[in-house]
Amino acid sequence: MKNNLRVERAIMNITQAELAEKVSVSRQTINAIESNKYVPSTVLALKIAAVFTKKVEDIFILEEGD
Amino acid sequence: MKPKLLLSHKFKKAGWFIAIPATILMILAMYFDWEFSFLQYNSTAQHYNFDGEVLFFGISSHNFTTEVLSIILITGLLLLAFSQEKYEDERISKIRLESLMWAVLINTLLIMFSMIVFYGGYFLTVMIYNLCTPLIIFILRFNIVMYLDKRKMQRELAL
Repeated sequence: MKNNLRVERAIMNITQAELAEKVSVSRQTINAIESNKYVPSTVLALKIAAVFTKKVEDIFILEEGD
Repeated sequence: MKPKLLLSHKFKKAGWFIAIPATILMILAMYFDWEFSFLQYNSTAQHYNFDGEVLFFGISSHNFTTEVLSIILITGLLLLAFSQEKYEDERISKIRLESLMWAVLINTLLIMFSMIVFYGGYFLTVMIYNLCTPLIIFILRFNIVMYLDKRKMQRELAL
């Protein structure tokens, strides 16, 4: 699964720490999601999408082989 | 998602305070014949010994140092293993579960290895260690992963 979290974050101009606080996870978790090392749960994905007022599909994209 | 079965973060510190001294005292008790004299129990009552079997109520003279220390040590290890991180989230839960799988696997492999290498009394000693090794392996693995995670993050921030 790919994601464009880093891009969305840049558009909204918030740091990893700020996003982490908004969705109440650790900064490491946001970092791990951005570097494709961790796939968030549905709840967390929905929460992140809500922060950017976008649909989950706009931020998280399925890849071939998923 | 609220983590179930986990204690609050402050219990982790308590865990270290209990587990480390208990480990040191346990080593002293097991290998240097050290014991707390106040845990010595001598019964004056008449006892019946069935074929040398010694049950709790049949004990006439015993020093309870190792028993008490074992319980204290395991309590400390449980606190360490079952307390939340400062920022507990779903990824940490995943690391926790992975570490648990890891600990069970390594521990079982070590026992299988010991079955081949150690016999009799030595194997009994292995079994005694086995009372705490799953927890110890879990705590070590989990904390190493958390430490490396934190260090990696700090390094990235420094760039």
